[in-house]
Parts: sequence; structure tokens; C-alpha cells
Amino acid sequence: MIEVISDLWSQSGIANMTWQQGVMLLISFVLFYLAIKKQFEPLLLLPIAFGMMLTNLPWPGGGIFHPEWFEGGINWAALGGHGVNAAGVEVEPGLFDFLYIGIKLDIFPCLIFMAVGAMTDFGPLISRPSSFFMGAGAQFGISFAFVAATLLGFDAQGAASIAIIGGADGPTAIYLTSKLAPELLGAIAIAAYSYMALIPMIQPPIMKLLTTKKMRQVKMEQTRPVSKVEKICFPVIVSVVCILILPTVAPLLGCLMLGNLFRESGVTERLSDTAQNALCNIVTIFLGTSVGATAIGTNFLKLETLKIIGLGLAAFAFATVGGLLIGIVMYYLSKGKINPLIGAAGVSAVPMAARVASKVGQKENPSNFLLMHAMGPNVAGVIGSAVAAGVLLSLFG
Amino acid sequence: MITTLINYAERGNVLSVPDALKNAGFTIMVVFAVLCLIFIIISIAGKIFSATSKADKPAAETAAPAAAPAAAASEEEFSSGSLRLKGCDEKTAAMIMAIVSDNTGIPLSELVFKSITLVEDK
Repeated sequence: MIEVISDLWSQSGIANMTWQQGVMLLISFVLFYLAIKKQFEPLLLLPIAFGMMLTNLPWPGGGIFHPEWFEGGINWAALGGHGVNAAGVEVEPGLFDFLYIGIKLDIFPCLIFMAVGAMTDFGPLISRPSSFFMGAGAQFGISFAFVAATLLGFDAQGAASIAIIGGADGPTAIYLTSKLAPELLGAIAIAAYSYMALIPMIQPPIMKLLTTKKMRQVKMEQTRPVSKVEKICFPVIVSVVCILILPTVAPLLGCLMLGNLFRESGVTERLSDTAQNALCNIVTIFLGTSVGATAIGTNFLKLETLKIIGLGLAAFAFATVGGLLIGIVMYYLSKGKINPLIGAAGVSAVPMAARVASKVGQKENPSNFLLMHAMGPNVAGVIGSAVAAGVLLSLFG
Repeated sequence: MITTLINYAERGNVLSVPDALKNAGFTIMVVFAVLCLIFIIISIAGKIFSATSKADKPAAETAAPAAAPAAAASEEEFSSGSLRLKGCDEKTAAMIMAIVSDNTGIPLSELVFKSITLVEDK
């Protein structure tokens, strides 16, 4: 009888659990709390947390995800049922081994970008093209974080992957990291999405520090209406220009603009609807859970993760500074007609950053509605971060 | 920059500080250059479209003189200008504008309000 109980105990997950797995389970519970109670980007943080929890539970006979099968390329033989785990024991592939293929082959981030494109109205950007400069300025956080990550000892690929957190764009961060430094994917995705949720706390103090009350009170004039033809031409022009210059951005930017063309063409209502809703939701589930599954205790619980979290925060802060500085330059160039707060919306994080800019402006002047003006730099930031990812991929890929 | 690319394409190589600064500077410069190029193209395209639509309007007026007053009225109605509020506070006005935009399905950026007047109940 005692022998039976002893066997049962030795085969149980509790007996086989390592301390790293225990800590990761606790971290996943914290993420559950942040997603459900605090509503920090719940659509992504919840599946990420669940993927993290599943992958860190002790699984008899192997595991649900084997990152070692994806080092370098994909070990198709292992996925076919002839794989060995890190300990050298022959094991069957798990569910996340198959789902992770979608990240490794860039399918999920690109499909999310297609959905983002289908949901985005580039009208405010087309009506005020100077917003492109604020979107570009906000990419300064990427450059800053790249240098800072190098100083902290990360190799070029790791530094580039960490730097892209400053782009405040989850799919772009996942896309670049899965190509350059896949071992950092879990930490970078969690940092990127957590900071995006924290934008209402990170940005306002910086906005107030860098701008005067007079600047924040500027009421902007309504922009010109944008014709349907312009909206249809925009995704085609941006795709051609960007991909001709930087072919590495083709998958991301091509999908973003394809989604937008579905929306603006007016003849693909069903495709636009699918991209915005069903496809987006399905891919979000797969992307979130498989990114969470990469956060395995032995890879995640390192000093590097803390460095990534710190660098991510710095990247976000300096991205805001960059956008604001360009906004201030435009405030002077336009003789006080442009509210520099909208520059802070140049960090992608659509539409959270635009909302924050609008809210801060409204605090100074309750009749000031900056949201539509801030959407211009906001969507320019999406294009800017994709271009920055393309440059980093060309340099270090 | 090509030399840098060759040196650091392999994993595990930590960049020197000057190289990191060079690559960071290069990245932001390319981002600015690409977005600046799109800015120029979109600005030119916008001007062409505006000029084309202005050129089309007189032609339409000649073709359908009866519609001319309506078109003129429409143009006046949609010209940009400040919103006049009569007996209505700014918060309520903002709510009304948002509701109109939502109900009509027309984005707020494309709607122009001339005035919002409070109608008293009798």
C-alpha cells in the first residue's frame, strides 16, 4: 500500500516540479491578476499568462513545448514524432510545438498586422502628413534602448530585439525577436504588452515635464476631409515605397497595408470584417498562448529578464521624449498651431497613446479634443516601428 | 555599414559602443528618411487630388446648373470654421457630435458642425 502511494507520489507533478517552474506559475498568476483585475491588455496578457502556466506545469513524458527544437531552424523530424527533449529522452511533440510554428515562420505577427490594418483609419495621417515626423521621432526610443542594451552586455541581435520594445508595437516586437533572439521572446513580449498597458502612467509625467501649459492648451484646427481615392492609394503607395527601400519589412508592412486596403476599397467588406474580427481573435489566441509557452522557467528566470524589463521601460520613456521633441519643434514651426502633446502618440500603441495625449490635453483645457489629431502620429508610429524593425533585421538578421 | 553587418550577423558578438551608436543612428536616420519620403509623396498626392476635385466641381456645375446652388451650399456647409454654441455647454456639444458621428457612421474627422443650439421645452 505504501509502495503504491510512493509510486503515485513520484509520478505526480508536485514531486517533479522544479523551483523555477513554481516561480513561473506564481508569475503567471500575477499576470492573470493584472489582465483580469487591472485589465492590462487582457486580450493578449491573459492567453500569454495561460500559455506560461501550461508550459511550466510538470508534464509526464516530456512537455507541451520544446524550445530546443526551434533553435536555428525548425526540427521537423522532432515534430513528426522522432524528437528528444533537453534531457535526451525521446518524447512526443506537444500542442505548443505546433502552434509555435506560426511564430517561427512569422505567420501570426503578420496576420495580426493585417487585422490592425483593417481596423486603422489612416485618414488623420493623410490629412496632416507632417504627422509622419512625429511617428519617426518616437522611434528614438528604439535607438536609445539599442545602445543601452549593448552597454548592458547583450549581443547585437538581443539588443536589437530589446530595442524594438520602444516601438510599442507587440506584433513587431514578436516578429523581430523570433527572428533575431528567440530565447528572449517571452520576456520581450511580456515587457512590450505590459508597458503598452502602462502608457497612461508612463507618458503623462513626461508630457508635463517637457511641455509648457501654454503648449498643452493649444487647440488644433480641423484637418481637411480625405477623399476615398486618397485612402485607397495610401496603402499602395506606402507598401511600394517601403518595400522597395527595405524589402525586409515586406511581410509586416505588406500585411498591414493589405488589411487597410480591404477596409478602404469598399469592395471587400467580408474580408475586412473577417480580418478585423474572426481572424484577429483566432490569431490572438494562438499568438498569445504560444508566446507565453516560450517563457520556460530555466530560460526566463535570469538576470537578463530583469534587464529587459528595465530597458523596455527606458525605451518607452525615450520614445515618448522623441515624439514630444518633434512635436515641440512642429509647435514652433507652425507658430503655435500644433499641440506638441500629439507627438507623444507617435509611439505606436494604437489607440492607447492617442487617447492619453487627448486626455492630457483635455485636463489643461476641457474643450480641447485632440484625439483625431493624435491618431495621425499614432498610426505613423506603426509604420515607423515596422520600418525600424526592417532596418534592424537588415543589419543583424 | 556593410562591414558592421558582416561582423555582427552572427550571434554572441557584443557591439562596441561606437558601433552601437553608429547602428542606432543609422536606424533612426533610415526611419526618418523613409517616412520623410512617404510624407513627400502623400503631400504631393494630396495636392493633386485636391486640385483634381476642384477642377471637377466647375465641370459638374456646368453639366448640371440646377444642382449648382445645392453644391455651393454644400461647400459652404462643409467649409472649416469654428463651432458656435448657443445655450449649450462644450461637454454636451462634444457628446452630441460623438452621437451624430456614431449614428451616421461618418468619422468625426469628416464631420463639420456649424452650430449647436439648445432648444427649450415649452
